[in-house]
Amino acid sequence: MNSALRRFGAYLYILPIVVLAGFLIYYAIGFSAFASLTDWNGLTRMNFIGFGNYVELVGDPTFWIALRNNLVFLVATILIQAVLGLLVAVIAKERLPGSNIFKAIFFLPIAMAPAIIATVFKYMLEANYGTLNESLRALGIIGPDVVIQWLGKDLGLWSIILINVFQWMGFSMMIYYAALMAIPEDVYEAAMLDGAGWWRRLVSVTVPLLRGTTGVLIILGIVGSLKTFDIVWLTTGGGPGVSTHFLSTFLYQARSDREAGYASAIGVVILLIAFVLSMLQMRAGYREGSRR
Amino acid sequence: MNRKLSLGVRIAMYGALTALAVIWLYPLALAVYKSVSVGGWNNYLVVLNHDAFNYWLAIGNSFLMAGSSAVIIVVISSLAGYAFSKMEFRGRKAIYNLLLACLAVPVASVITPLFFTINNLGLRDSYAGVIIPLVSFNVLMMLLIMKNHFDSIPDELIEAATLDGSGRFGTWWRILMPLSGSTLATVGVLAFIYSWNEYLLPTLLLRSPELFPVTQAISLLQSDRMSQEQISQLYAGLILMTIPSVIVYLASQRYLQSGVTAGAVKS
Repeated sequence: MNSALRRFGAYLYILPIVVLAGFLIYYAIGFSAFASLTDWNGLTRMNFIGFGNYVELVGDPTFWIALRNNLVFLVATILIQAVLGLLVAVIAKERLPGSNIFKAIFFLPIAMAPAIIATVFKYMLEANYGTLNESLRALGIIGPDVVIQWLGKDLGLWSIILINVFQWMGFSMMIYYAALMAIPEDVYEAAMLDGAGWWRRLVSVTVPLLRGTTGVLIILGIVGSLKTFDIVWLTTGGGPGVSTHFLSTFLYQARSDREAGYASAIGVVILLIAFVLSMLQMRAGYREGSRR
Repeated sequence: MNRKLSLGVRIAMYGALTALAVIWLYPLALAVYKSVSVGGWNNYLVVLNHDAFNYWLAIGNSFLMAGSSAVIIVVISSLAGYAFSKMEFRGRKAIYNLLLACLAVPVASVITPLFFTINNLGLRDSYAGVIIPLVSFNVLMMLLIMKNHFDSIPDELIEAATLDGSGRFGTWWRILMPLSGSTLATVGVLAFIYSWNEYLLPTLLLRSPELFPVTQAISLLQSDRMSQEQISQLYAGLILMTIPSVIVYLASQRYLQSGVTAGAVKS
């Protein structure tokens, strides 16, 4: 009796998190899956239309543009952030005087709201009176009448990528730094006995030993790309036209246009991608665990 | 590190760090410069006495929502982390994995049902309507950190407390909590910053400007056609709105950095 009560009692400790997080999120996922099969307008109309939304989605050019943008974004941000983050982490590991100040500078944007950073960049990158073009004109790098559309059709995606690098490079740096501190010093001493210089040690010892950490950063980058919303919505808003839409902003737009059923179908596609990738993350995690 | 580095390598390293630091500080320095370029420091007073935008109210709203969600997250993630780490019950592993599977669910993917549900609960356009999903979507990462932390506390300690007549809740409160100061601080700071920075949820769920947190209140300082002076004022507002995050960052840098790595390295 007493032990049965004790066993039941354990559920009380997890009840709040199960209700608030588990129940709410799974309910929302189930609701999305159901609504994606209807012509729901978000209010009252809700007729079952089978896979109509998905058929429409596959034929919608905006969907493919958004998917492509997400893909370019994740490859570029993961790559740039990993290279710069590793560079700073490797230098910081040498404990040069002042390296803590540099670490703090690169980490600072993580504590700042993406909404604020995005707004600063939006006005900085604005084509006519924005500060970047003004500076370039003043320095004579571009002609006085040249207007570079940093948030336009061609460069918009790359500006968004750079904003993300600004915000999150410090994250890759910290993760690499933590992993570097865990590499035993005798590994390097052995390499030095073999006559390996600084660069050689970086390429042949450090980078291969950090493979697991890089894997974690890749998975987090992929998930982060699916979560990216603020820095797109507040700079280009998906425009001009639909050229810089991400899956998240495409969904938000569809919802605002009262196409809730269609928006739910986009949500289900995002969830499927996230689900497949988190399975990969778990498998990679188990492999890491068994190696240790 | 005691390896001797040549002068050339040292110079190259400082050069690389300085070049990057200049790029990173440029937007921040620029924002400060632009905030006074037209209208001078008076812009800050204009923003603080704005008709449409109430700075202290926005800061207060952010503190209320981020603070409440951080407190709730710390309490429920430490309770659940304790149970998942130190108690035996049916379905423990399955429930834990089902919860962690939600870590990768982006808020954006479920905004349609989320809006509908919060609306039907009568919580749309209220603090609680934002705090609830803030907790839902941020608590799972914190559960992971808390459970990993409790896993590192030896079971013998719990057994000894039980033998001394401590109940399960007493063990949590009197033994585990005092041992977990830095992890609790890490979880609290991380939850606070993530909630403070959230933009999508309040934008989706709030309509009344008097409830807007800072991320959403930025829109109140913007309009379609802005004069140079208004843009300067916007920059002043952005800087004023960043100050609280920077203070929180400086005060809690150690916990924030360890939290960010704890969430990633051991997942």
